[in-house]
Amino acid sequence: MADAASGSTERSVQVKLVLLGEAAVGKSSIVLRFVSNEFQPNKEPTIGAAFLTQKCRLEDRVLRYEIWDTAGQERFHSLAPMYYRNAQAAVVVYDVTKASSLEKAKTWVKELQRQANPNIVIALAGNKIDLVTPSSDSASPAPESEDEADDATATPGETTASGEPESLRQVPRDEAEAYAQEAGLLFFETSAKTGEGVVEIFTEIAKKIPIDQILASTRGGAGRPGAAAGRPGAQEGGVNLEESNAKGKDACNC
Amino acid sequence: MSTISTHLRNFKEPTKDQLLHLFFALPPSVNPPPATGAGPGSTGGAGGGNAAANNGAKGEKSVGAAEAELESMEINAVLSLGIQGEEDSYVSTPSVRPGLGHVQQRAGFELGLKVTRVFTVGVGQAGKLYLFPPYLTFASLDRKSVRFTIPLCTIRRVERLNARAGIYALSLSVWHGMKIVVQLTSLRPTADLFCSLLRDALKVELQKGKMKAVKPFIKTCYSELLVANATAPENADEKEGGGAASSKGDGAAAPEDGGPSSPAADSMYLGGLGLKFKFPGDPKKLREASKTKLWTNYLRTHGRNLTLLRYPQCTRLIQVGLPNRLRGEMWETLSGSIYLRFENPGVYEQILAENSGRTNTSTEEIEKDLHRSLPEYSAYQSEEGISALRRVLQAYSFKNPETGYCQAMNILAAAILIYMSEEQAFWLLEVICDRLLPGYYSPSMHGTLLDQRVFESLVQRCLPIIHDHFTEVDVQLSVASLPWFLSLFINSMPMVFAFRIIDCFFCMGPKVLFQVGLAILKINGEKLLQIQDDGQFIHLMREYFASLGDSAHPNSSDPRARAITRFQELLLVSFREFAIITDETIQSERRKYRSEIVHSIESFSKRSAIRNLRTLERFTKEQAGLIYDALFKAICVEPPPAVSLPPPSLLTTKDQAEERPETRIGLKTFRVFLSEICTWARTEKIVSNGFQQRVDREVAEHELIDRLFYFWDTSFRGALSFQDLVSGLDGVMFNDLMENIEWFFNLHDKNKDGYLTKDEVLTLSESLLFIFRHEIGDAYLGAVSRFMSNAFEYGDALLPRPEGADPSADPPHIESNQPYMNLATFRMVVLADEILESFFETDFSATFRLEPVPLQEIPNTNTGLLGGLWHNIANDDNRRIFNRFTDEIGKTIGKHQVFTRPAIGKYTALEEPKARESLLTPTMRRSASKASLSSIAETPTSESSASASASVPETSSTLSVDNAPTVSSATSAEFSPMPSMFHAAANAAALMERTPFAIDDAKDDEDESDIETDVEDDDVMDEVDAFLEAHDSGLTEAERELAQDLINAEPVK
Repeated sequence: MADAASGSTERSVQVKLVLLGEAAVGKSSIVLRFVSNEFQPNKEPTIGAAFLTQKCRLEDRVLRYEIWDTAGQERFHSLAPMYYRNAQAAVVVYDVTKASSLEKAKTWVKELQRQANPNIVIALAGNKIDLVTPSSDSASPAPESEDEADDATATPGETTASGEPESLRQVPRDEAEAYAQEAGLLFFETSAKTGEGVVEIFTEIAKKIPIDQILASTRGGAGRPGAAAGRPGAQEGGVNLEESNAKGKDACNC
Repeated sequence: MSTISTHLRNFKEPTKDQLLHLFFALPPSVNPPPATGAGPGSTGGAGGGNAAANNGAKGEKSVGAAEAELESMEINAVLSLGIQGEEDSYVSTPSVRPGLGHVQQRAGFELGLKVTRVFTVGVGQAGKLYLFPPYLTFASLDRKSVRFTIPLCTIRRVERLNARAGIYALSLSVWHGMKIVVQLTSLRPTADLFCSLLRDALKVELQKGKMKAVKPFIKTCYSELLVANATAPENADEKEGGGAASSKGDGAAAPEDGGPSSPAADSMYLGGLGLKFKFPGDPKKLREASKTKLWTNYLRTHGRNLTLLRYPQCTRLIQVGLPNRLRGEMWETLSGSIYLRFENPGVYEQILAENSGRTNTSTEEIEKDLHRSLPEYSAYQSEEGISALRRVLQAYSFKNPETGYCQAMNILAAAILIYMSEEQAFWLLEVICDRLLPGYYSPSMHGTLLDQRVFESLVQRCLPIIHDHFTEVDVQLSVASLPWFLSLFINSMPMVFAFRIIDCFFCMGPKVLFQVGLAILKINGEKLLQIQDDGQFIHLMREYFASLGDSAHPNSSDPRARAITRFQELLLVSFREFAIITDETIQSERRKYRSEIVHSIESFSKRSAIRNLRTLERFTKEQAGLIYDALFKAICVEPPPAVSLPPPSLLTTKDQAEERPETRIGLKTFRVFLSEICTWARTEKIVSNGFQQRVDREVAEHELIDRLFYFWDTSFRGALSFQDLVSGLDGVMFNDLMENIEWFFNLHDKNKDGYLTKDEVLTLSESLLFIFRHEIGDAYLGAVSRFMSNAFEYGDALLPRPEGADPSADPPHIESNQPYMNLATFRMVVLADEILESFFETDFSATFRLEPVPLQEIPNTNTGLLGGLWHNIANDDNRRIFNRFTDEIGKTIGKHQVFTRPAIGKYTALEEPKARESLLTPTMRRSASKASLSSIAETPTSESSASASASVPETSSTLSVDNAPTVSSATSAEFSPMPSMFHAAANAAALMERTPFAIDDAKDDEDESDIETDVEDDDVMDEVDAFLEAHDSGLTEAERELAQDLINAEPVK
């Protein structure tokens, strides 16, 4: 809605991004931090997937992220392809305080690399570093409300143990980073709670995404920003024609 | 990481009976009521008769001696309804009714009733009356107008009405004072039978003391209070109406504690969190008061809770929305969960108590979601609400460990808990997950996926333009519609609206979800045609849902049109335009896509299973896929035992424990699996009967297979995972000669000490015999016997002897379970034989074949493996019947032939391998190794068929060459006392009938019988002895020829 106005002056590129990862690693929190810069209990429980959008400026371009925040529970796994198909970017999230979540992240990466769009940009994000960084922030028992909010997705018991942060870490940064490098992923450690590293994920992804390619593939509809710009044209050749026939403003709906 | 769901095996079409039970919301038969329900009555009723155990309606523990079985029965009937002595109260009701535009016809259908002052309110409704002990149900012919399901124990009195001639009518007085009059319109004997069955069933209920359970149970129902208040002094009605509104002010848990003198004063009705935390929505706007009044009247005249009779008016009232306080109970009643609660008193508490403190994956997942289940509702910001939610979800997961907990159930549970107590919510959740939305929340979520597919197809059919547009711009319907179905719209639209859809859902069944879904798309059709991607679709839907409270026609000049909200419009479109979507539509669509969905789920989980293998070993992905297929089929045929949960103490260690139990198969499943992969692990009979030629495959059972199972079970869990199987197969399929020999040696070296004991040598020989059991000709048999004799000879020769002992003396005595032969010796023995050598060189590995699972051969509509599988299962019985039928014909016309396919099949009868003549040399017998053999068993045996096992040491006196084709007649030979081991061996050998010589020339019937006798003849003992004396393996040309001749010789007639 607001996007239509700003989009008319700048070139807005639509990027479909999907968040994957084990349940309760903080996927939704990361999105919430990125989209509305807040940290709070989930207003919207993730059934299937939640859908959000956020714009991101990169040099002279504006990227409009369409974010699919998927449900983390194992049994929703088989639904995931519905969300990651045609995605240009994926953020695979794990919890630095839970070793098994990295394993799950690895299987997601494997799956994406084999099943998803071949040019997909994948970022690996180790979330909840606020629980392991001995910063004054997390050590102080400051905002009670936030702690409570944290409960929403936090592994039970971790808030109580936050007195000795380092012991909570189960995934060493080096290990995850090495894996990311080997698998060709962007790597970040983040805290949705403090906001650390969250925006960086999306900026780095923006830099790595072949924007020109996306633009080229949607040139036909370039006059109408927001109107389904972000489909990877390479595979979906037939779609572009249709898009150029679609008409203007009404189609933009965000 | 891989779990292979066996859920889908049971994912079949519901049967007609099941559908009927579903329709009447009867409790499942697998749910026996707890003993607590039975009072002293059950103990006293010795002659009580048998409760319905196998009538399918409900499994009951039989209470007495087996008397008449309680049968279910259906009968044509005409239903009328009268209310005894309630004339006055009824007459007053029409004043509130016009708003609904439905005035019930009072034209009495009066039978000549004995009882005076019975006022018939229902028109005679033709339909069917069913007796499903302990329930009595009725449905009008159209299945819509009238129906009821009432427990027999609420029937107080049954009278045969003294009616006009030819009319057979019963009057049933029900707990709530209604008089249900049913005219049985079937033939007289049928009606008589029905009555007697009904009488029996009622008797049983009485004996079980169920009648006594009704009163306390009904006190838990709000409707009782409602009706009691209404009939009590005037102001009760008033108070009731205001009750809903006023209680939101004080938020007290105790709402109108009844009028001071009202009979409801002792009512302990159950309610939800809404009583304390307010119900969502504005009661004024929702017109709670007038709805309550309407319902009070309906419930008074048509029964309530356990005895509710559903007339069209009931459905209409539901469509305008249930009043908040009544909602929970009505949901229970409409869905049938009330019967579960009635039948299982205390079970909810019991489940919680039994599992208290237990944690597992489900409870962990529940914990994570508790705070994000309707967080905007105030109760779920308090510990009270959260813990209620926790208990309900946990109780469900404990009761249904296979489903456990699925996200979205938290939302459902949170929603229904607003309107009902924990116990009610628990049973309702059970009904939702189990019956109304089957498979929605299961680990594979197949129900969800199927219904999404069905929905898509309905969109294609009903809204083709939208469907085409979606296809064109590649938008997937499910991205929006999945949550609609999964969380019953609670998550998608404002709660007040979602709850009204849920009202209809419980009343009219799952088709409502489809109807509403279609209506949503239809109403937004114009805009939907503009969308270009998933994102816009979601946005559009979100906007629409947010505007449901707005006027549907804001610009209309007609104020009445302006007053219609978008939500009302939605319901109108749903139930008017999409009334064409019936239960049958959904059923048939589901039938259409079931196998497709199953296939796609399975191929998905197959891909992930392969992806998640730690190592593919030397297999390609395709080969691993074939292994998976075989495994999957095996699991379908022989499901592995349910994963038993480790004790709680093990589960509480978080993070360390495996997140998801891996699918592991037990021995039984493994046998099936191996029979798919490995030629000797199955018995394949090629049957031709003139009509068809088919392969009947049977799973073989042998110690070798069991041995292999434990051999591959490297982590000693008594069960194998997919990875274990892949690694295990890798260990045998890529072997060369030496590796194979070593592998085979290790397989039989049970204690892994590098030595085989004598017992193990024998077992190994048996293994070989088992593998060769269907080979054509005697070559392999000979090889095994030579192997045995060689083994014991070399084994004895190589035994360490005391210093200076006479080398020609008998070898030292070695216990049969002591280390005897090492790998080197074993290798030497194997290599001493040409046939065994070639067997280990190539043939053995080749018996493991990764081929597409044969089920694929079956022609079916679905291309995929699973489609085939389903096809197979669906028609297995039919095919079996067909096969048997054609076989019979084949036998009659003399065309029936059966051949067993050999596992290796290297030799055919025509190119019989050179048997070693030495075996046939009659003169040489009694070898040195006899000592070692006789140390195990001294028992001489005659040339029985058992002797063919080659493991029997003592020779018969006859010569091996004698080719005795008629020895089968000599099988009568007595089995003198043998060590049990030999018994087993002999028996095993006896089983090893080798039927055909060659498949190729199998046309000749005579051949077959010849061969059989030949097999019997194989007098291996002679061969053993002969060989033992021959020492070397040299065969003379002449001997070879002789052997050849013998093999092809005609049997003596």
